[in-house]
Amino acid sequence: MKKKFFRGRIILITIFLFFCSALMGEAQAQKEKIGWVGPIYKELSDSLMKGFKDYYKKTYGKDIEITFIRPGGWPVCVDKVRAWKGKPDADIFLGAGAPAHEILKKEGLIVPYKLKEWEVIPDKWQGMKVKDEGYYWACFAPWIVTNLYNEKVLKVLKLPPPKTWKELLNPIYRELIVQTLPYASGTQHEAVEIHLQTFGVKEGWAYNRLLAAQLARFSTGSVDTTHIVSRGEVPIGLAQPQMNAMVARKDGYPVRDLLPDKTILVPEAVAMLKNAPNEANAKIFLDWLFSMAGQKYVLEGGYFTARKDIKFTAWEKEGVAMAKHAREALGVDSFWDLKVGFVNYDLDLAAKRWDEVNRYYEYEIYRKWRELKSSLFLIEEVEGEIAAAKKKGVDVQKAEAKIKEARNLFEFEGQYAQARLTASEARSLLVSGSR
Amino acid sequence: MSRGNVFLSLVLWLILALLVIYPLSFLILESFKIAGTNQFGIKNYLDFFKDPYYLKTFTNTLFLGVLVLLATTLLGLPLAYILARYRLKGKTILTALILLPIVLPAYAGAFALIVFFGKQGTVNLLLLEWGLISKPINFIYGLHGLVFIQTLHLLPFIVLSLSAGFTNIDPSLEEAAEVEGARGFKRFLTITLPLCTPNYLAGAVIVFLWPFTDWLTPLIFGLIDFLPSIAYINIAYHFTDMYRKYIGIVSVVVSSVICVAIFLISKRWVEKKKYTSLSKGTTLEGRIIEPGIFITILSYAYMVFIALLVLLIPTVLGLSAFSRRWVLQPFPTYWTLDNFRLIFLESPLLLKNSFVFSGVALIFGIIFGLPAAYLITRTKVRGKEALDFVITLMLAFPGIAVGVSYLLAFWEGIPLATHWIIMPLSLFVRRLPYFLRMAHASYLQLDISLEEAAEVSGANKLRTFFNISLPLLLKGVFVGVVMFFIMAFQEISTAIFLYRGGWETLPIGIYLNWHRGMEFGIAGAMAFLMIVIIFILLIIISRIGGGILGAAWGSSGGRY
Repeated sequence: MKKKFFRGRIILITIFLFFCSALMGEAQAQKEKIGWVGPIYKELSDSLMKGFKDYYKKTYGKDIEITFIRPGGWPVCVDKVRAWKGKPDADIFLGAGAPAHEILKKEGLIVPYKLKEWEVIPDKWQGMKVKDEGYYWACFAPWIVTNLYNEKVLKVLKLPPPKTWKELLNPIYRELIVQTLPYASGTQHEAVEIHLQTFGVKEGWAYNRLLAAQLARFSTGSVDTTHIVSRGEVPIGLAQPQMNAMVARKDGYPVRDLLPDKTILVPEAVAMLKNAPNEANAKIFLDWLFSMAGQKYVLEGGYFTARKDIKFTAWEKEGVAMAKHAREALGVDSFWDLKVGFVNYDLDLAAKRWDEVNRYYEYEIYRKWRELKSSLFLIEEVEGEIAAAKKKGVDVQKAEAKIKEARNLFEFEGQYAQARLTASEARSLLVSGSR
Repeated sequence: MSRGNVFLSLVLWLILALLVIYPLSFLILESFKIAGTNQFGIKNYLDFFKDPYYLKTFTNTLFLGVLVLLATTLLGLPLAYILARYRLKGKTILTALILLPIVLPAYAGAFALIVFFGKQGTVNLLLLEWGLISKPINFIYGLHGLVFIQTLHLLPFIVLSLSAGFTNIDPSLEEAAEVEGARGFKRFLTITLPLCTPNYLAGAVIVFLWPFTDWLTPLIFGLIDFLPSIAYINIAYHFTDMYRKYIGIVSVVVSSVICVAIFLISKRWVEKKKYTSLSKGTTLEGRIIEPGIFITILSYAYMVFIALLVLLIPTVLGLSAFSRRWVLQPFPTYWTLDNFRLIFLESPLLLKNSFVFSGVALIFGIIFGLPAAYLITRTKVRGKEALDFVITLMLAFPGIAVGVSYLLAFWEGIPLATHWIIMPLSLFVRRLPYFLRMAHASYLQLDISLEEAAEVSGANKLRTFFNISLPLLLKGVFVGVVMFFIMAFQEISTAIFLYRGGWETLPIGIYLNWHRGMEFGIAGAMAFLMIVIIFILLIIISRIGGGILGAAWGSSGGRY
């Protein structure tokens, strides 16, 4: 019977498959393993894998199998660890700054481990935590939130690179900027928090509204932003991890780091997961990561290094290729020598209002983007008309008051339609006033 | 009705229940969860339908579907007619070329478009250099770019189904019309085209529903406001915001319902009318015309035009595959084999996984598909229509629906997702309809009297199958096998949800290299490799079973 034949085949193949997987399972059980989960970039994970595999082979004479899962930005990675419900598939949470690790620590998802060379990492930098006093996490690759620009394209457009956050609002940069959505990128969200905590909540949102009007488009992630800027499709990109410029330059893209006036430190950190299946290997990895050898692979992978005692010029002499690019990108001999303006970042506040900030941006700015732009452009038009009329000696008092009202409605209330209407009223006041 | 057949039917239903019904019900259940509580309710759906933004994303997606359908039909109609009706030299190569976009998923082509047509892409740079323009032209960022790339990818579906339609038409019907005085164009409009409707609809449904499943391509162009893209972002980036995740899942359920509804409506519409003809006085080739010199030149010109369009993307991908640092220059200047070295030496896993997963999925497909086709065409078992229906319905479900539902159902429920077998299983479920249609069409073309003759002569069912049926089915089944493999090989929308470290396939590699890598050349090399591998398979189909391929998409009488 045909069906019997097929039934037989199904059974045979099923048995065969289980046999195969059992064999694979057995073979895997005999290998040394370690698993990482985290948001770090592919170049770094590739570099660390190579370095750690070599180190493990040299030191223990065995091969180690490394799996790395990158489900997305750090919020997605934290969610993944949560989804494992105490039985993690990985041993190490690799990457992400303080907010992620503080959340992991609070929810009991990571365990402390005192590194062999614990003292070689600074405790704090300009007031910001670089490692956890309870040994839960430590920064292995620090960077600051910055912006990028494509120097070739800006040169062709004959524009100077913007130096501060406020300078980005200059109309000469209109439609020349790209950023991603705060809920799609941890870095972008942190940039919005920088604005809120630097300028104050009301002013911070006003700033973001004005900034949104400068955008050519929204990208779909911070690396997407880097790509777009590298390819020159849009010359200025916001909210970038600082090392993206260094790596893009290494690949031959004419990209430059654009240090804003106020930013935050992101101490890309590492921690050991609770109930890690390969705890011993995890500890070996952690100690290696902070050793001089391990830190070299961090730099090779396109991230800056965290050890206090590293000098790029010294490494350059030793033949570490990336050290030259790092020194040129940073302008100093060690990351910790950087002179940047920092905002006093309240981590707890940021974590508390995380969803709220995301939602506000999505609903009030992203979804109303067209409305926002048309409203602002009309306000600017009318302001120009009023200024021109004032020069000619026309009485613009009423119109000025009205357009100020329109501005207020736009920037602080977020009432784009109302602001547009008020701007039109200002215009008609101007016209009737000039008669 | 033999007991054996009933048993077979039960086994098949059991497998379907586990792999289709169970995970989808999980998905639906999850969409009713209320964030912040342990309760269920319809709040998420109410919020979704009340929100004008989601309505906008839905209409955007619908509009995109309509535009792509129009574009593919306009471009594909002449092509299908030429391929089906005219005797021209070099048809095999041109057919293979025109089928090439099937192997080129839209997301891979999108990168190539940016490199070629972007603001700092080849065309703009050349035009600027030659002083023909002063500012870059926006060729692709917007709906137009999206329509272009999706049209290119989906063109073969329309061409195949229409050419099958043209081939299947009984010439006597056309000849009768011509005898009555309706010649040329009039005959084409009033007789030929309407008779193709069932075949056309088969391809048209796939084309129209595609934008509901393709979440990645809009994102590459920076367009977020499409239903599948916003669903993906909401689900993948929800972090602690469970409400966002549930809304994402609601979006997925809603798009699935819409897709299924459209699918059913078109099926119903086709079945209402009768398209079968009494006589089967036609060869497999259908009616062939010897074109005059003017038509011949036009036909070749048109085919070459389409071929050039189609070849543009693989060429750009090829150029970037063999180079690095191709940026702000019209053409690459730094050539290297580094990208391929990286793929073959440092991540051969991608290739291995792609072949293994697609291969295993194929084995599942054959084991399931052949008995299913037999059951549907040769037996009278109750529920066989429903079986056919459920399997084919999987064509309508967006990949994101399958991916998310599998993640929900097989992580917490039955822990299949912790094992790599989930990857081929999900491929099998999604691509099974492609194989089933081939097997089904082949069985239909196999006259039952041949099998009956064998049985009357004393051969039992098994012997009949091996000595009579299988050799005759082989051509069609083989085409089905290759078709399944091609579509499984390039699958990404579901795989991206289910993969874990070590299970990455070539398409996932392309996505990851775009999403988190810097050097586009690597993604280009992977895409180029994928194209080359599948193109070779396509040539094989083209040589062996071009007619069967068309027939399968047509399916006699408009049956799905």
